[in-house]
Amino acid sequence: MGSLKPADSEGLGFLATRVDELINWGRKNSLWPMPLGLSCCGIELMAMIGPKFDLARFGAEAARFSPRQCDLLVVAGTLTWKMAEAVRVIYDQMPDPKWVIAMGVCSSSGGMYDSYAVVQGVDSILPVDVYVPGCPPRPDAVIDAIIKLQKKIERESPVRRLLKGPGVIDETGTGRNFKQPNFAFDHSSLDLHPHDPKAKIEELQK
Amino acid sequence: MTATNTRERVAAALEGLTFELVDTRDGMLTLRVPSATVRTVLERLHGRAGFEQNTLVTAVDRFPEEPRFDVIWQFLSYDHNDRVRVETRISGANPSVPTCTDLWSGASFSERECFDMFGIRFDGHPDLRRLLMPQGYTHFPLRKDFPHGGIEPDRLYREWDAKRRAEWGANA
Amino acid sequence: MTSHVFEYTRGGNNEPVPDSDDPVHGKPMLVNMGPQHPATHGVLRLVVELDGETMHSIDPDVGYLHRGKEKTCESLGWHKFFPHTDRLDYVQPLMNNCGYALACEKLAGITVPQRGQDVRVLLMELSRVMAHLIYIGTTSIDLGAVTIFFYAFRMREEIYTILDAYSGHRMNNTYVRIGGVYADVDDTVEALIEKFLAETPARIDEIEKLLSANRIWYDRNRGVGVLSVADCKRWSLSGPNMRGSGLAFDLRKAQPYSGYETYDFDIPVGTVGDAYDRYLVRMEEMRQSIRICRQAIERLKKTKGEDVLVEDRRYVLPPKGAVMSSMEELIAQFKIVSDLRLPKGEAYHAVESSKGELGFYLVSDGTSRPVRCHIRAPGLMNVQAIPVLAKGRLLSDMVAIIGGLDFVMGEVDR
Repeated sequence: MGSLKPADSEGLGFLATRVDELINWGRKNSLWPMPLGLSCCGIELMAMIGPKFDLARFGAEAARFSPRQCDLLVVAGTLTWKMAEAVRVIYDQMPDPKWVIAMGVCSSSGGMYDSYAVVQGVDSILPVDVYVPGCPPRPDAVIDAIIKLQKKIERESPVRRLLKGPGVIDETGTGRNFKQPNFAFDHSSLDLHPHDPKAKIEELQK
Repeated sequence: MTATNTRERVAAALEGLTFELVDTRDGMLTLRVPSATVRTVLERLHGRAGFEQNTLVTAVDRFPEEPRFDVIWQFLSYDHNDRVRVETRISGANPSVPTCTDLWSGASFSERECFDMFGIRFDGHPDLRRLLMPQGYTHFPLRKDFPHGGIEPDRLYREWDAKRRAEWGANA
Repeated sequence: MTSHVFEYTRGGNNEPVPDSDDPVHGKPMLVNMGPQHPATHGVLRLVVELDGETMHSIDPDVGYLHRGKEKTCESLGWHKFFPHTDRLDYVQPLMNNCGYALACEKLAGITVPQRGQDVRVLLMELSRVMAHLIYIGTTSIDLGAVTIFFYAFRMREEIYTILDAYSGHRMNNTYVRIGGVYADVDDTVEALIEKFLAETPARIDEIEKLLSANRIWYDRNRGVGVLSVADCKRWSLSGPNMRGSGLAFDLRKAQPYSGYETYDFDIPVGTVGDAYDRYLVRMEEMRQSIRICRQAIERLKKTKGEDVLVEDRRYVLPPKGAVMSSMEELIAQFKIVSDLRLPKGEAYHAVESSKGELGFYLVSDGTSRPVRCHIRAPGLMNVQAIPVLAKGRLLSDMVAIIGGLDFVMGEVDR
């Protein structure tokens, strides 16, 4: 795809749509989740990968415990402020493109823990794509979230980013040397929320 | 073992020390001792009365009252299959009690937790750090004058985040 | 800047490894395991100082799941704390419910009706099987036996089905109340439990057949993390860890509650006190739990239709049907939910959970808000014992030690 040249805008439009679809099709059906089992929801996450619910049917069963190998962060459970740094670093270490599911009410909004130690929703430190209510949500609900996320991935346009060229490659592997965001839509910027339509429009106009 | 037997055994072990028995709802033998002699009481309970295991070390904050903190120890004897609870009242200003980690090693984390949550120092504890809250935390959450929602709960994270962003540049 | 993940202050009792010029035993290496690590069973962080591959000092750092449960209890009140107890040791929610309810009942001075006690025993023993299945599933996946994970979760799913039919939710059921249980076990649930009890012993055998004589499992667990009985007493360990070392002390027998003294079951004990013994003890405990469940089901069949909740309107919610039709009952329900008062005093009650002695120490001043609710978590003591067991061993043994001690961070951090 490196040979694509943005010379002929008409032809590009046609071709880009097709490549987008191809890439999205590949991405959405081979999500590699990072199971961040923080508390109770982690057990249901295990049950979801287990025999009865069998996440492999949706192509997302290849759970890896190294963030470098994952593109889907499932924050399953209560996030405390003490743990928040670690979660943020895990998120930053994941290669782009990446998506986040906030599993359970604790990671969606703090849930029943309105206390001094708990982060009131993981979206105060990370951008979240899908929120799953429930305490803990049933595995069916999380599978539904993954299907919703697949639909969301379908609507993305990855080629636009490919044409912009690669970002700075992280040679040290620590994630500390990134001088440029390694995300499609400035995911890491808290000021530009990925769901904010204005941010998206600005991005497209560049 | 019946409660009477426990009481006799403990009374024999604590001979010459002052303590008063407290009525509790669960019927466990509960001793209230002055904070000055609490260390001796614990030593005797460990050595003479044969309480081999420390079940818990914790505190109760009676906030508006002064002296403010009740420190609670609870022990279990496997041979006699009975329990005893020791309570002492200490002041809220610079609260401290002697440690019992040299007698029961398992009390170490309980004492650290009690220090973390109430700010009660256990004198002689070899490693009195915070246990549950991060090391830089400055409050004692289980004190009654600490609000449930916390005071700036995200301060440490925000400080770390600001420094990280400064390191990585404006985009990160 | 303070960073509790990247920066580390050395604890007082971990003396540093002496530096030397020896190329093999040169400078010690500090390895950070966790808080996100596949083998730490939750958000436990271990700072390990390595001399070569040998662990020189281990500093467990807990609190990454500290949610302030005790403070929450103080601000919520007695009744509203029940859902929070589920999430303590979240692999066995009903056990925690029962422990807290028993402590509250001690404080209130009420006794649960016989049928209520039998239902509780049934639920507690099912919870114990659930918790031990998590132990065997996660530990075996850490030690390389992936099949066992699927076998264990297949069995857990059956318990989930039972609890789903009973309470309407798979986990975190909150079905125990002060004075009994919320609802009776009906015929559907009974049939499901009987089916489960009939099938499970063969499945436990299946797991044991795959593991007990398995070369890898045996070699990685045998002689790892040896604990003497004296060590267990000194380090406040209890439950299967204590019994694995050879002391037959079980709170269900020693200080019985909920009528456990009337059930017929055995206490398995180990001989050596290593991780392999603890594994054998847990497997046998599952079989004993099933034995207790069978007896409980038999009793429930005989006492059909009796009360499962005590008839004491000071502490017990009125029946839901009456609340919907009568103003007085509605007020009574409102009073109990928002303003339940337990008598002044203090009480401690411990239950034999799957991890050890799970105790609740409650202090009441007679108002609707507890003065103190201390949760004596067995898991915290198990975490505390990690350095004792792991010091001087190889780093790869850490996985077997953590798995063998068996703790759940929800309970450790509270």
